[in-house]
Amino acid sequence: MTQIKQARLGNVTPEMSEVAKQEGVDEAVIMQGVAQGTIVIPANVKRPHKNIGIGKGLTTKVSASIGTARGSNAYEAELEKLACAIQAGAHTIMDLSIGGDLDFTRREIISRCNRPIGTLPIYQTFTEITDKSNALDLTEEDFFKVMEKQAQDGVDFMGLHCAMTLKTLEVAKIQGRLHDVVSWGGSLLAGWMLYHGKENPLYTNFDRILDIAQRYDITVSLADGLRPGCIFDSLDRPQVQEMIFLGELVDRAREAEVQIQIKGPGHAPISHLETTVKLMKQVCKEAPYFIFGPVVSDIAPGYDHITAAIGAAISASKGVDFICYVTPAEHVGFPSIEDVRTGVVTSLLAAHIGDLEKGHKKAWDWELAMDKARNPWDEATQKQIALDPTKLCASSNMEGSYQCTKCGAKCAKKVLAEYFSKPISYC
Amino acid sequence: MTQLIKAKNGEITENMRYVAEQEGVSPEYIREMVALGQIVILGNKTRKNVKPCGIGKGLSTKVNANIGNSPDCGSFEDELIKLVTAEKAGAHAFMELSSGANIDEFRRQALAATELPVGTVTIYQAGVESIEKYGSIVNMDVEYMFELIERHAKDGVDFMAVHAALNMDVMERLKRQGRVTDIVSRGGSFLTGWMLHNNKENPYYEQFDRILEIAKKYDVVLSIGDAIRPGCLADSLDRAQMQGLILVGELVQRALEAGVQVMVEGPGHVPSDQIPATVLLQKQLCHKVPYYMLGNLVTDIAPGYDHITAAIGAHIAAAAGADFICYVTPAEHLRLPNAEDVHEGVIATRLACHAADIVKKVPGAWEWDLKMAKARKALDWKQQIALAIDPERAAKIRAERNDSDSEACSMCGGHCAMKIVSHYLGTTVNNC
Repeated sequence: MTQIKQARLGNVTPEMSEVAKQEGVDEAVIMQGVAQGTIVIPANVKRPHKNIGIGKGLTTKVSASIGTARGSNAYEAELEKLACAIQAGAHTIMDLSIGGDLDFTRREIISRCNRPIGTLPIYQTFTEITDKSNALDLTEEDFFKVMEKQAQDGVDFMGLHCAMTLKTLEVAKIQGRLHDVVSWGGSLLAGWMLYHGKENPLYTNFDRILDIAQRYDITVSLADGLRPGCIFDSLDRPQVQEMIFLGELVDRAREAEVQIQIKGPGHAPISHLETTVKLMKQVCKEAPYFIFGPVVSDIAPGYDHITAAIGAAISASKGVDFICYVTPAEHVGFPSIEDVRTGVVTSLLAAHIGDLEKGHKKAWDWELAMDKARNPWDEATQKQIALDPTKLCASSNMEGSYQCTKCGAKCAKKVLAEYFSKPISYC
Repeated sequence: MTQLIKAKNGEITENMRYVAEQEGVSPEYIREMVALGQIVILGNKTRKNVKPCGIGKGLSTKVNANIGNSPDCGSFEDELIKLVTAEKAGAHAFMELSSGANIDEFRRQALAATELPVGTVTIYQAGVESIEKYGSIVNMDVEYMFELIERHAKDGVDFMAVHAALNMDVMERLKRQGRVTDIVSRGGSFLTGWMLHNNKENPYYEQFDRILEIAKKYDVVLSIGDAIRPGCLADSLDRAQMQGLILVGELVQRALEAGVQVMVEGPGHVPSDQIPATVLLQKQLCHKVPYYMLGNLVTDIAPGYDHITAAIGAHIAAAAGADFICYVTPAEHLRLPNAEDVHEGVIATRLACHAADIVKKVPGAWEWDLKMAKARKALDWKQQIALAIDPERAAKIRAERNDSDSEACSMCGGHCAMKIVSHYLGTTVNNC
């Protein structure tokens, strides 16, 4: 039985209890959120793991994407990235492998990951087809075989481009975009649709998708094939058109008692972020919003973890629930293990900044603990609670650098400390 | 040739010069924005007595007042009095929305009675006359629908609301959405009835090129009506509204390509936190053409006070970029407004727009407030009354409770803060 079905029956599942405890909220709040679909708990019935809740009233979560590149079989490197991302604090992992033995790689990743795992089944489908022949040869059965196999392996949430309809592509054509379709899976699927003159099979067979999702309690993570690929294409007609279909599919998933969340943007100017989030929440009836970045400027390759963190922090503060990380390698190349670590930490930072604005007590308590540890100076606590303690520990000159010798007895800090009746905090 | 085509050709017209002078900006700026479609100039080519009015980016926010009889009430005389009242209160344009008897005659009278731009909604006449002639709106004659557009244009109507952005696809989205108030636009409901009964696509949508041709010939500014606008807070920014807006955007694109001046008519009921998003979406999806908004009402529970709920919404909308606001009177949702309602509606909307113009940094807006502040400091009553948005109202209220030559006003009497501080700072004080 899916979490949403259980919640609607009034049952508090162990998964809901776990999430309630983690978030410090009442179990009934979680149950109600899951029942209404404003909270999802990605938890495939096939595989127990540490559970997390995503959605309204909960802290903002971060997902890290890993996976082999096209033509590469270097799965060990991806397993290292997996360990690194988990260690850095990623809440979920997405396996986006498109090279080597995909089943093997996915199973290796799943066996080493004690938290929710997401995939895009269309990636494996297209990878295997293009290995043999051509993306245009895709059949519906190819896709559903992969989806079922991944579900059986215990994948908890799946990115699916169901809302990219022929109508959406037509609206995109009339609009005249700078970057037509930038999603990899989306672009191959769109090519297939236009070549065959057929509606998106993931749209026409949405009931079948819901059926699989229902059996394994997979959280459907509707992907937006028409997400803007540059800030100029943000909030244009095709993006909004797809959002309308996304909203209709949310209604259908909830009716079928399937958990569902919506994936969004990638590129958007700051002035569009609030509207993007508000519109999505209205149109998709407050389904959890999983947002990629977004980068708020396109001119900084090598620094996109920062442009994305700015966008993610603002989006989270406006109501985004789940952030897909962006690494410094974005728009540059394949991320290294260090890129993965940097990506996770900066996204966690953005999520936390969002949580402050959302008014989460846990987030403010964390701030307060750090601020207290700075006055009076308490290095041990700072190291313990810092977002990335390695930065403090690695700083070789920290020890003693706050010991002042310059002013001797005439110390302004000392005067100040006496005035406020507090222990001295060094310069 | 339309103002838009001339602007694209690099020509600065007389109308552009006139608007530039009114607004305190350069004629070249007006030309550039008209060419981009971000400013429209209302002024039918065949109408001799119209003062052109600029609406759009960088210009002061304009106010529209609605007049027109209904089948139940309102004589021509009453409506003409309302027209004069609205004009005196400072409205920038009118919409003549008669749906009673002798629509043609009254439209012509209204056009002759004012120099302000006049807009109409031809589907009202088509619907009303269809009921008279054929007993029902569903029997509306398609050819006659277009004939009316031409007739209104020929009469000199400067802008027209056309409900072209409603088609079967939008209806399908509406059906799946499950709204609280479905369709509240009168024109939208006429067309919906016709479309569903005849199982045919909206003629305005299907034959939009015909509308473009007429608009181009007379330089009528099209106001693409949102047949699917939300009728209550709960329906705001839903999927049906968005589908309608996407279609509006595509029609705007066609109008701009055809050289026809175009603006977009939008919402009516929006919770205040959604107003900036609503404005941004209109600008994004519709090539940044001027946005003509009804209200917006930011709550639905205050009949009798809707000029105030609308003024709050109008202010937020205009500050966020809306360019043209249709007034709402205290009679909204209750009855056909009388002259006093019209006066209240125009003033409330004007002050909301002016407060937004300060935020938009429209030339002159800030200066007006500064002058008033200085007159207050100087206790210069004559000046304060003259600067008031409604001088008659201000003078009347002051006269009710003050001696005509009193220094202070009866709010504080001798304890006037302005007077006391001036005394200690040694600055001059006139009268309070």
